[in-house]
Parts: sequence; C-alpha cells; structure tokens
Amino acid sequence: MAAVPEVIPYPEVRRDLWRPLERTGRSYSIWVIILLAIALWGLSCWGYQLYRGIGVAGIRRPVFWGFYLVDFVFWIGISHAGTLISAILRLTDANWRKPVTRAAEAITVFALMIGGLFPIIHLGRAWVFYWLIPYPNSRLLWPNFRSPLLWDLTAITTYLTGSTIYLFLPLIPDVAQLAEHASGWRRALYRKLSLGWTGSDREWHALERAMKLMAAIILAVAISVHTVVAWDFSMAIAPMWHSTIFGPYFVVGAIFSGIAALLLVMSIIRKTLHFERYLTPHHFNNLAKLLLLMSLLWLYFTVAENLTVWYGNEPKEMAVFGDRIRGHFAPYFWIMVVCNFVVPFVLLGIRRLRNIRTATIASITVLVGMWLERYIIIVPTLSMPRLAAAWGSYSPSWVEISITGATFAVMALLYLLFSKLFPLVSVWEFEPHPAEQD
Amino acid sequence: MAIDLDRCTGCQACVAACHAENNLPLSDPESAAKGRAFHWIRVDRYYEGEFPSIRVKHMPVLCQQCDEAPCEPVCPVYATYRNDEGLNVQVYNRCVGTRYCANNCPYSVRFFNWFDPVWPEPLPLQHNPDVSIRMTGVMEKCTFCIQRIQRAERDAASEHRQVADGEIQPACVQSCPAEAMTFGDLNDPESKVSRLAASGRATRLLEELGTKSKVFYLERSE
Amino acid sequence: MYLRGDFENDHSAAHALRQLRAVGFTPADIDVFSDEPIEFPKGVLPRPSRMSLTVVTGAVSFMLLAVGFVYYTQHNYPLVTGGMPLFSFWATGVIFYELTMLGAILTTLVCFLWESGLLRRSRRPVPIIEPGIICIRIGCLPDQADEARRALERAGARNIARMEVAE
Repeated sequence: MAAVPEVIPYPEVRRDLWRPLERTGRSYSIWVIILLAIALWGLSCWGYQLYRGIGVAGIRRPVFWGFYLVDFVFWIGISHAGTLISAILRLTDANWRKPVTRAAEAITVFALMIGGLFPIIHLGRAWVFYWLIPYPNSRLLWPNFRSPLLWDLTAITTYLTGSTIYLFLPLIPDVAQLAEHASGWRRALYRKLSLGWTGSDREWHALERAMKLMAAIILAVAISVHTVVAWDFSMAIAPMWHSTIFGPYFVVGAIFSGIAALLLVMSIIRKTLHFERYLTPHHFNNLAKLLLLMSLLWLYFTVAENLTVWYGNEPKEMAVFGDRIRGHFAPYFWIMVVCNFVVPFVLLGIRRLRNIRTATIASITVLVGMWLERYIIIVPTLSMPRLAAAWGSYSPSWVEISITGATFAVMALLYLLFSKLFPLVSVWEFEPHPAEQD
Repeated sequence: MAIDLDRCTGCQACVAACHAENNLPLSDPESAAKGRAFHWIRVDRYYEGEFPSIRVKHMPVLCQQCDEAPCEPVCPVYATYRNDEGLNVQVYNRCVGTRYCANNCPYSVRFFNWFDPVWPEPLPLQHNPDVSIRMTGVMEKCTFCIQRIQRAERDAASEHRQVADGEIQPACVQSCPAEAMTFGDLNDPESKVSRLAASGRATRLLEELGTKSKVFYLERSE
Repeated sequence: MYLRGDFENDHSAAHALRQLRAVGFTPADIDVFSDEPIEFPKGVLPRPSRMSLTVVTGAVSFMLLAVGFVYYTQHNYPLVTGGMPLFSFWATGVIFYELTMLGAILTTLVCFLWESGLLRRSRRPVPIIEPGIICIRIGCLPDQADEARRALERAGARNIARMEVAE
C-alpha cells in the first residue's frame, strides 16, 4: 500500500475526470430509466397513501412509528458520510482525502434531502406539514419549540443549508474551469454557478478560509443533528428508549453507516467511471480502516447499551430486551451483529483479506446491519409499552416497502445525474505532488 | 375520577357507552386484529393465582389526564395541552399526526385515525351532535366527556349557582351498573371523588413515573 | 491601466511580488491568478481577513435573535398550557444551538462572497491563463508602468503585456 503514488499531469487529470460529463453510455440511460421508474412507483405509492390515509401503511397501535422513521434515521445517518468525514479529514489536513471529499459531500446532500422527506411522509396529515414551520399564520399559533420534532426540523434545515454550501464552495473553481471548455446550456449553467470566478488569489484565500471555517461548523452541526435524531427517541419515557447514551450511540452509528455508504459509492464510481488512478487502493485502505474502527466503536456502544439494561433487570425494559435478544426480533438482532461486527471485523481486521473487494462487501453488510439496527431500536420498544395489555405487533405493508425501496432508487438517480453535471472528484484539489501524499 | 376495582365486573358497559357518546369509529374484525380498534376506555384483565383457582382482576383504563403529561411537551403544534381545569385536551384541528404523543403515553390510551371514519347505515343517524367527528390523520383520546362538563357548567352558570358534586357524569360513569366509577372535582376537598382519592385505598397507575395522573384506582383491601 | 506577467512557478512569482512591493506597489494593486491555490511565504502578499471574527459575531447575533424569536412567539398567543412554562431555556436549547450554527454558516457564505469579490461587477481585465501558469496583474498609473514592467522582467516574467479595461 505504501507504493509511491504516480504523478499524473494536470491536463490528463482534467481529461480523465471530465470524461464522464462528456460521454454518456447506453447502460447509463438504461439505469436512469429503471431508477426513474422505481422512483415514480414510490411517488405514486405516496400519492395513494395521501389519498387513502396513512392507514395503508402497516403502522398500528401501539407501534405508531415504523418503516418511515427507520428510513428517516437511516438516511440521516448516511448523510454523515460526507460532510463529517470530509470535514474531519479537511481539518486534520489529511491530504489523501482530496479525491474522496466531493463524492462524500454529494452523498450528504442527497441523503439529507431524502431523509428529510420521511418525517413528512409519515405524518397523518402530510398536507399540513408546514404547520411545523414557524411563520406568522392565520392560526395565530406558533409551533412548540420544546418538541424534539421542532429540534429536528431546525437541525435538519441547518444541516441541509450548511452541507449544500459545503458541497458548493469547492465546486466553484471546478465549474469555472468547466465553463471555459463546455458549450451550449452547460456553459451557461457553469457560468452562472461559477459566480464569476477568475482564479485570483483573493478568491483562493477566501475559499480556503471559508472551507476551514465551514469544516469546523459542519462538524459541530453534523454531530448535533444525529444527536437530536437520537433524542427524538430518548426524550420519550418508553422502555429502552429513555437512554442517556443514545446521542453518541446514534452519532457513532451514523458515521459508521456513512463511511460504508461512501466506500460503496466510491467502488462503484471507480469501476464504472474508470477512476482507478484517482481512487486508489490507498484510499480504500484508509477508509476501510476507519470503517473497522467505527465497527468496534459501534460494538462498544451496543454492548454498553444492552449490558446495563440486562444487569439492571428492570421488568419493563427486560421485556423489550428479551424480545430483542431471544424473542421475536432475535433473528434481526443477530443478523445485525453479524453484519455490523463479524463481517467487517474478519474482512477488514485481517490485513491479508483487506482489499477493495472485501471493503465493498463489508460496507454493503454494514448498510444492511445499520438499517436493521434502527429497526430493532424503534419497533420492539413500541410494540411493548409499559402496560402489557396494550402490547402489539408490527409488519410493514407493501406501501412502506415500496417507498423505502424507492428512496434507494432516488438516491442512485440523483447521484447519476450529479455525475453527469459535475466531476465526482474535485479537479482543482487533485494536486499530483508526490511529496504531499501521505 | 376514581374507579373502584372491587366493584368493577368487567362488563364493558363503559366501553359501549363511550363509543356511543363520543362518536368513536367502528372497527371490523380485520382492523381490530391489526390493532386499530378504537376504545377510549378499555378493560384490562389481570389474572391472579394458578389454574383452576384463578381470579380475574378487571381494570378500566382510560386517559389518566396527567398533571405532568408526557404527551404534551412532545407535540410540535400544541395539539395536546392541559386546559385551565386540568384536563388534557386534544385539539383535532391543530393535529398534524406525528403520533409522538401516543408513543410517549405510558398508558397507551391514545388512538389514531388511520382512515376517515365510516359508519354503516343507519348508525350515522345516532351521532352525538355535541362531539366532532375526527378526520383521517389526527390523534384522539378520552376527553372525560368534556361536552358534558361544559353543558353542566353552562347550565349552572345560567342558574347562577356552582356545579354540584356528582352533577357531571361522563358516559362511562353514567353507564356503570356496578357504580364502580365516580367523577367529580378533585380541587374540591369535600367532593366524593376527593374523599375516595384520600381514602388510603387509592393508588394511581404507573405512579412511579411521576405523571400525577388524575384517575385513582381503589384497590381491594385484603 | 493594467499590466500582466506570467510565471512558471510560485517561487519566481513570489520573487516578482517582492520586487513590486519594493518599488512601492501595495497588495491592493496586485492580483495573482492561477488555476490552483498558491501559498506564498508569509508577508509577501498579505491579505488580511476578518472572516473568523465576523463569523463569530454572526453566530452570536443569530443566537440572540433565536432566543428573542422563541420568547416572542411563545408569548405572542395567549396559550393555555396548564402550568408548563411558556419559555423554557433548556428545552429549547437545541433550537438556539442550531440557529447559532445557521448564523455561522450564512455569515461564512456572505464573508466568502465579500472577501473573494465574487458577484461584484468589476471592470478590471481578467487575464486568460494557461494551466499551471501563475499570472500577476498590477493596476498602476501610466507613469508607474515602466517601473512595474522592469520589476516583472527582473523576476523573470514571460509574456508581459498591457491589459485594457473591459467596457
């Protein structure tokens, strides 16, 4: 892995990284059509749900929150791919980050857009979702700022605003360069987006300073966002939700699934766009090590969370705990442990096994495992409220499954479209100086 | 409200009366199996002893009208709040349907309108005109028959007098054949319900959570 | 009028900047164009920035606005809450935090746009540069032009040329 990175001349960098913008293959169009079809199917399912009522979903008493909230937490977690990782790497001046950040920041923005939709999808009266937004209105009533749902709304708004700017700022020099070379509507678009960038040292200085500040701010925001998402649950007095470690536990889980998403996206980009020279085994190795670290941290939190409940032996909590570990939800629980810990630990912990292929496999299992983790945090607690007479069960309906599936298609679709408009590896940041590579 | 568990026979008359009074949506076996039946008041059963010498304990559970209600602060739109008289009220028009309140209710007494309610003919003709019908996507729960409370207060005000103890009877209290339920003003130390609450037989459900609920259960004294 | 000179690397460009500063040009007269960010040694071309301070100010003012806003909105309507405080600092702390951060983010964006000079209509000519080339542009009075030209030449500039102000 310590091989000296090859020095690629700058014109060649440009040519390689811009190639996907210029040429569109047939398989690309086919994929876009397939994904668009799935996305439209999901959209019509949502339309059906709005028309008939939220009852077409499988949620029921006492499991009032189901797949939609699982998806919400999952996608907000994925969004930590980007910004958080890219911010940490930027702040620590890790030079190997440079080809990775753009891909990561784009994941963040798209995952947030999708994740932010779920609280609206899950509303009983989604058509009045704007009642949560504080604005002077004819009802004369402002929202209740003490509700964790309002915290959520504020946090996600801030995070989406911040991460969009964080994605956009380092894109400006790239689009300025593209504007010179493109033609037609693309030229007009890039012109507009470049804001009149000329490449003067004042602009570079301002950009550098702004990015340093943004990295610090976005780091603080990203941590708070997933903490607030966790607090949606831990502020409630439901058994096994009312836990003090939920904030950091969720943040760790979010970064964990975020790195997995980034690894998966990177290995797809590398394969399909032929970025082998830019996304090297070196990058995968570093990210795989980060993934392994997060896997161990996740295990630590999971053990800490469950062991304290088991030892405390409080009956209401033990009911939920037992259902998780050896009851109805046990298969999901143990699949989750295998996906989140056993697979990454074996594949990435043993150095001889660690390569791009195993890192990709591990990141897929981590994504599955992290989705399951949110499922077994949300559903068992709700299905076993404090009064046993009200216990119930939950199974998702086809509407929930369709909408969940469709969001994955939407994510892929947004990414495909993005890859046609902007280089997925930052061109100007790609400095091929061997001395700088660590 | 005070409920004497020694008197409760588990006959479910309160459940039926509540349905009629408060325009509760009907549920079919299918939706009931799914856990979507509406019962603002339900009768929980607890079994004591081993078969065959088994004793069944009945416990009617309705909204406990907590003074420190967990459902209230989590609502983003103030759809649920506590009014001047100390009742937890639900404003259907404000509700957007996040269902957070129901998740945070330790008594599981909140019900959600998954669809617009439908009644087979001729049941729509027997709707209570004092109670609004809830649309799809909003939360609802026991109101302590607030429409009856308001009517009694209006009547008393027009006659320039105080509401008498026992004058207000929610549908469940009125229909209880065993007279297990008592409703009255807890702020009035002389009312029957206050005396029962202070009688030493009274406990509150899940009292350890500190919700300061206003339904007192009178336990059998053995 | 404006003069331009091209340099192959940041070393010779820094040399030229020192020469120009020595003959009396201020950093305000000078712009450096490149397709990559360049680090000059300290003091060669100082560009003072108040971005950090401004961002902190922006963040704090957003926080104060947020506290005021939440206080106002909760008292704006005579809401009956049956004993719950209308304004609870800790329960709304998350809101204050997020809006503080939003303030920091928006101020950063504004600072970036202001300090970079983007979006401002400028009639200064923009040199077209080849990849990898560093171009220095000097704004000067006609009688200073020779001095500037000589300074650029001494530092080994190529392609020294006069640039016309865009209409």
